[in-house]
Amino acid sequence: MNAAVLCVSRGIARVTGAALGPYQTAVIRIGFSATWLLFLLRELPHRGELYGPDSPWSHDLAEQLIADNGSFTALMWSDGRAWFEIVYALAVLSSVLLLLGWRTRTMSVLFMVGVLSLQNRSVFMGDGGDNVIHLMSIYLVLTRCGQVWSLDARRARRAAAARARGERVADRVGPVLWCASGFLLLTVTLAGGLDGDWFVPALLWAVWLALGVWWAVGRSAEGSQPRILLDVVTNVVHNGALVVIMAEACLIYATAGWYKIQGSRWQDGTAVYYPLHLDYFSPWPALSDALAANGTMVMLITYGTVAVQVAFPFTLFNRRVKNVLLAAMMIEHAVIAVTLGLPFFSLAMIAADAVFLPTSFLRRLGGWAARARGRLSGRGPAGNPADGRATVPGPRTRAGTAGGTAGTAAAGTADGKDPEHTRVGFRA
Amino acid sequence: MVALAVVAVAVCAHIGLVFLHVAPSNTLTKQHGDVVDEWVFPEFEQNWKLFAPNPLQQNVSVQVRAEVSTAGGEIRTTGWYDLSAEDGRAIDGNPLPSHTQQNELRRAWDFFVASHDSDDRPVGLRGTLSETYLRRIALLRLDRDGAAGPGGVVERVQYRSRTTNVEPPPWSGEKVSDRPIVRELPWWSVSAENRGASAGQAEREGGAA
Repeated sequence: MNAAVLCVSRGIARVTGAALGPYQTAVIRIGFSATWLLFLLRELPHRGELYGPDSPWSHDLAEQLIADNGSFTALMWSDGRAWFEIVYALAVLSSVLLLLGWRTRTMSVLFMVGVLSLQNRSVFMGDGGDNVIHLMSIYLVLTRCGQVWSLDARRARRAAAARARGERVADRVGPVLWCASGFLLLTVTLAGGLDGDWFVPALLWAVWLALGVWWAVGRSAEGSQPRILLDVVTNVVHNGALVVIMAEACLIYATAGWYKIQGSRWQDGTAVYYPLHLDYFSPWPALSDALAANGTMVMLITYGTVAVQVAFPFTLFNRRVKNVLLAAMMIEHAVIAVTLGLPFFSLAMIAADAVFLPTSFLRRLGGWAARARGRLSGRGPAGNPADGRATVPGPRTRAGTAGGTAGTAAAGTADGKDPEHTRVGFRA
Repeated sequence: MVALAVVAVAVCAHIGLVFLHVAPSNTLTKQHGDVVDEWVFPEFEQNWKLFAPNPLQQNVSVQVRAEVSTAGGEIRTTGWYDLSAEDGRAIDGNPLPSHTQQNELRRAWDFFVASHDSDDRPVGLRGTLSETYLRRIALLRLDRDGAAGPGGVVERVQYRSRTTNVEPPPWSGEKVSDRPIVRELPWWSVSAENRGASAGQAEREGGAA
């Protein structure tokens, strides 16, 4: 009995004391924002046909469907070309900034607004990859996904260093961003732009208020009561969202796997043969033919796919098996990207898989990236030893800024710009 | 503690509802389906039956032709334009197929089929939306193909689909019919509002190319 109580209280301490998985949340932040960014850039020449005012899925058609389902899209606020171009540009910009982790929380909200606005404007243009990004863009808003590998982490580190030297650090950008977004939000709400389903508007207002409270509380001393309380709440929300993200990934695989088991083609071992012979999913017919030529191979891949998808959620209880399956799934998605001509779907799935990557691997990855960048930017070797040290796999740090500092020392030392923005105010 | 409890309940509820949304129809969804739908729609809608339960085993080729009033005042019927084949050619050898090539027409056709009965009558709002959508896609694509010719105007369009079975793998010994199934829709007249924007779109796209 005592042991159980101890166990529970230890668990509570863990989920309230830290925003867990700083590297995992950072890698999916980078993964999804990069996927969406690359997609938007690739579709630049087709953007008007997909989401613009004169898309075949016209503004009027979209309006009728949205009046029915109440989904959120800023593109319904006006049918003008200028507004569309602004929204598309903002979607690109917010993807870049979320990727870099600049004002991560605010950018994650903007990223979500961009994703939902474009996708909900033309629902029939999307596929499974869009669906993944759609869901994850909402979940990401609730995470502290900028703790490492972000400009925010670097800013926090520099602010801490400056304060340690006894300097006063002030953040001007945060309050300006907050006031501007508050003004926009109020205008849109009063103009009736958020009259559809209640969920997204509520989320927007909640995050805005939370950021305001964080700023107000952030002015008080580091160890003050309200600040600790706010930190705990933010951690709990982050950890909850992280659980949802992982559960979502499991649901995707479980659904895909269990439904396949019921299909005759997956049972007779020929299923993989068919998509390779669909005109819409065979950009390289010769490659498709080669892959589908051997009946035994097709059968092994068919059965392997089902087995891996069904098994994956259960392997989470065993680290080593989980990592093997994870590698298998990432490779399969990379192959799908090429053979079925679904690069953005595959990228999104790989990004979702990445939430299960082990911390030690991610830190090594961060080390390689930092070293590669150091070499590219032609800095002397002086900066590099520090990078190496900072990214050696180590014991779990108590996440938050502590973990962030260790992990991104690399990024920070290699970079060395940006003397401003040195206050932690808006990191929530 | 309160925050922890609230978040824990919210997380469990959300995961549970999304699970019921993706699960097959069952005792719980029959009784509480409206609760699930209320939460999941519109933003958490999802479908992960990827190539399941069975992968599609047919190539659906969607084709369209038009009745054009020419500059000389006559009415001319064009030949069939195989829009799916155009998409297929755009995807061939393309490492980054666009959604306009891979999803637009394909999903518009699926949408049409799903929102119409076997006599091609629209079912509900979605049925009529899908017809307008297909009309506009036809105009856009016919315009790109220069179907109307100089000075000509598309007055009516007609769709048909040719569904061909993918030949089963040689080692399976299975035989399926290689005769395509043709579904021909009635002629649809094209109103000015269908036409307006998409013609302008084509001009812009042409100018940009």
